[in-house]
Amino acid sequence: MAYIRALRLVNFRNYADATVVLAPGLNIVVGDNAQGKTNLLEGISFAVTGSTPRTPNDSETVRWGQDFTRAEMRVALQDAGDERRVAIGYAPGQKKRLTVDGAPVRSLADYAAGGAGVRTVTFFPDDIRIVKGAPSERREFIDVLLSSLRPSYARTVAEYAKVVQQRNQLLRRIRDGLSSPKTLSTWDRKVIELGKTVLAGRAAAIEPLGAFLESSVRALYGPEKAALRYSYSAPLENYAEALREAHSADIERGTTSVGPHRDDFEVLLGGVNLTTYGSQGQQRLATLALKFAAREYIRQQTGEDPILLFDDVMSELDEHRRGYLAGYFLESTQSVISTTNLEYFEDEVRRQARIIRIASGSVFEEANSNASQ
Amino acid sequence: MATYARPVERLISELSKLPSIGPRSAQRIAFHIVRGRKEDALGLAEALREVKERIKPCRRCFNLTEQEECDICRDPRRDASVICAVEDPYDIGPIERTGEYRGLYHVLGGALSPLDGIEPEDLHIAELIERVKREGTKEIVIATNPNTTGEATALYIAQEVEGLPVRVTALASGLPVGGDLEYADEVTLGRAFAGRREI
Repeated sequence: MAYIRALRLVNFRNYADATVVLAPGLNIVVGDNAQGKTNLLEGISFAVTGSTPRTPNDSETVRWGQDFTRAEMRVALQDAGDERRVAIGYAPGQKKRLTVDGAPVRSLADYAAGGAGVRTVTFFPDDIRIVKGAPSERREFIDVLLSSLRPSYARTVAEYAKVVQQRNQLLRRIRDGLSSPKTLSTWDRKVIELGKTVLAGRAAAIEPLGAFLESSVRALYGPEKAALRYSYSAPLENYAEALREAHSADIERGTTSVGPHRDDFEVLLGGVNLTTYGSQGQQRLATLALKFAAREYIRQQTGEDPILLFDDVMSELDEHRRGYLAGYFLESTQSVISTTNLEYFEDEVRRQARIIRIASGSVFEEANSNASQ
Repeated sequence: MATYARPVERLISELSKLPSIGPRSAQRIAFHIVRGRKEDALGLAEALREVKERIKPCRRCFNLTEQEECDICRDPRRDASVICAVEDPYDIGPIERTGEYRGLYHVLGGALSPLDGIEPEDLHIAELIERVKREGTKEIVIATNPNTTGEATALYIAQEVEGLPVRVTALASGLPVGGDLEYADEVTLGRAFAGRREI
């Protein structure tokens, strides 16, 4: 199984120039608050996917006062001894420069879908918004997951967004008397063609994801049955009809009211919708379980175990669950887990893990830590 | 505060209005002209004047021409029963160089884009349909760009000529010749699959 051997971050967040060597299995990143633990996890994700999962605005990752950021990574591939070297350079306002083994990669979508040789599943504490927040958060979760598996899905989603934007502008122009409605059916056809591809991708994923969620919740939470339920703004079989029926209302509002950009999926526990009725604790556990489900789905689809980057996941869990998680991470191909408190991991777990200490943007490795390969 | 003499500044400012010419390139070109021979500079000025005074759209297909009708429209050897619809006049050159196409053209003048306020009336679509009726065209080959606006334009034209005795086709999109399958992006490869043919 592929894993990351080493990562170098230059001008990334609070790192001026830092190199971290990682081991297969569990890596524990320990340090006080605001030293750069989260930034390190973000940096790994940035190197693997070509963009940061924490913000839509990549320029935030550039170190204060600097005009570019750069990440370099060595990935051990499945074939023993084989290695891939990737590098990504980014200066705000310019195209990202990606290279794999020195050769430039032109498409960010291709790179994000496993171009680095590994994929990641990330967990950051504010990911709870996936369960707790607006439908757009859940759509983004599933779209990012599917895009990491298939670049064509990423392109279809982007193209769909553009066509909806064109259609919305047309609706407003019709409303304001600037356009005749005669091209509306043309844009409807484009919207449906692309929208159906997005829907088909999501529909195929939601069932296996739900099944993986159910088993993750059982392990993390208890016997109550968890499930995912996709809610369509228009049922697939009469999508075209629904879009047509919405014409006059859409013109009045100037927006497209049906289609995958208005859909949602429910996260259910014992039949109850956690977005509306879940406690903070249930929502947090469900978020974690969704991430585990994403890992299983990637594994099922690609045969490769993604790298788990989980930020400060232990602090809000009880001892029993911390023990379960430690075992889960130890058995993974590679996981990088941050914590303020090493005591959250039992001695036995710590002995098997690589410990990486972070203090004010510098990386220190423990002397007796599990040696890397 | 001007750095250079006024005529030089003016030249730089005019040049920097051109597409893909930034301020630095504009400055470099301007100084090249200032240093160069007078005949070359006047030749350029004359070429600019000539193109604006003598070039106009072909009344039949909206390609650029010095005559009422362009060379392609007037060529009796071309197959007048086929019209290839393109977005811009400069799309004709690449198609001509293939040597595969012997029909006529129709320049639409862009693509439908509500975001840019471009409506069917802003394009030469009505003229295309008029032509098809008048000339008894048997086939329209739509060669708009393979992007959102180009494809919507193609769809719209197809909808508009429905009912007329004309076949509407679109260019296939697929793999670049001479390339490796391994390096094709997924969308291109996916489309090539969708458009596969018997051999």
